[in-house]
Amino acid sequence: MTATERTMSPPHDRDTMSPTDEEANSGIRLPGEGSMWVFVLGDMIIFGAYFVIFMIERTSESAVFLQSQQHLNQTIGLINTLVMLTSSWFVARAVRACRAGDYQGATRLTVCGFLCGVVFILIKIYEWSVEIGHGYTLASNDFFMFYFMLTGVHLLHVVLGLIILGIVFRELRRPTLRRASMVESGATYWHMVDMLWIVIFALVYLLR
Amino acid sequence: MTVVVSTPPTPGAEPDDYQRYRPKSKTDQWICWWSILIFYNLFGLIFVVLTRVMPPPSPHLSTGQIVHFFQVHSLTIKIGFGLLMVVIGFSSWANGLVVFHMKRMSVGSVWAYSYIAALAVGALPGCLFAALCFLTAVFRPDRNPHIMALLYDMGLLMFVGSLGCFATMYLVFALAILLDKNKIFPKWLAYVTIWQIVTEVMAAPVFIFKRGPFSWNGSISFWQGTVIFVIWEVCVVFVLYKAIREQPPRETDAGLLMRSASRIRARRGHEVTADS
Repeated sequence: MTATERTMSPPHDRDTMSPTDEEANSGIRLPGEGSMWVFVLGDMIIFGAYFVIFMIERTSESAVFLQSQQHLNQTIGLINTLVMLTSSWFVARAVRACRAGDYQGATRLTVCGFLCGVVFILIKIYEWSVEIGHGYTLASNDFFMFYFMLTGVHLLHVVLGLIILGIVFRELRRPTLRRASMVESGATYWHMVDMLWIVIFALVYLLR
Repeated sequence: MTVVVSTPPTPGAEPDDYQRYRPKSKTDQWICWWSILIFYNLFGLIFVVLTRVMPPPSPHLSTGQIVHFFQVHSLTIKIGFGLLMVVIGFSSWANGLVVFHMKRMSVGSVWAYSYIAALAVGALPGCLFAALCFLTAVFRPDRNPHIMALLYDMGLLMFVGSLGCFATMYLVFALAILLDKNKIFPKWLAYVTIWQIVTEVMAAPVFIFKRGPFSWNGSISFWQGTVIFVIWEVCVVFVLYKAIREQPPRETDAGLLMRSASRIRARRGHEVTADS
């Protein structure tokens, strides 16, 4: 339980959350729920391992990787990066609005973040269909294997993020369910999805 | 049995019964819990030491090399998978304990049933199929080498690449924990379970690749998935230990029996006094 949650909860809940009081009073506070941070940090370690393995494989076949990279559409990748960043910006503003008590604004901003996520998925599907149309599939070579697997597992995270943002939206709409910790947890997860995409974009699309 | 955790304890003639039965009431669960430790140690012994399925042998062996592999490991495969046929039932004991605690959650029992059903279906491709293929190969060494190679491929492809049932099982488990209001399992376990779904999905391409990180002995498909699985299993064992410890005695099967028995006795006593 967090300090913000405490300020938003009815007074009778106060006595149930003593352990974190000292932390909260000393000014150290974890945004969102601790369990979400376990998830996000662990997930980043898992992705970190994927990136290390990608780099190892890339050094052993750098010519194939560089040549195959030419077939990716960097413009689409850049547009998707901007969509993702915009989405994160909306979600970050939703957290601020929620902390300020502007729940309607927070709801609207969460919807905007959600819609950007949907746009990201649509662009990604278009990008994939173009690549597959040109005959580049998972089995083409090691570069495309990584390209489809990394962007695919990231897309899975985007879908999961949309579900989480959907839950945030649902809770924001009902006064009895509103919890700042949930909005913060959703934002924490969404920023991770954003950050992972930036690393994937840099490693797969840009790295020469 | 659907347990309503929020029911306040009924005062009255019951405490004596509780006191009498309380020390014994969780023995059943502790037996299940210890069976998990025993089973997974045997599991490690069978799959890692004896049958050499974990870590899997190379996916790009020639037919001759595959026949040689079965010849060299014939005895240990027979002992290992023979042992597995005997102890595989332990896993259902362990999973029964998880389901027992899932049924204590505020979510409907359907989640627990879905969990156990997905596991039951997954047990064949994910655990037993490799054993059946390898056992056939080592007990019929005079067969055509190409059939040996087929058994080798089938066994290992299923073993590493079987994901649908397990991904569903993990999804059901994670969602049940997240939706549960009784806080039977901590929320972080749900997120650790979602890592499992991710690594299961990353193991899917073993059907396509014979070399590299996505082959069935690859760094991503096999090693990372296995490391996360071991972490998940350790977490589940630890969380089950806490769940058993923290379960109120009134809520166990023995406690419930005592309570209903006391109620019936009380009602009868009431009826007797009313009649007289």
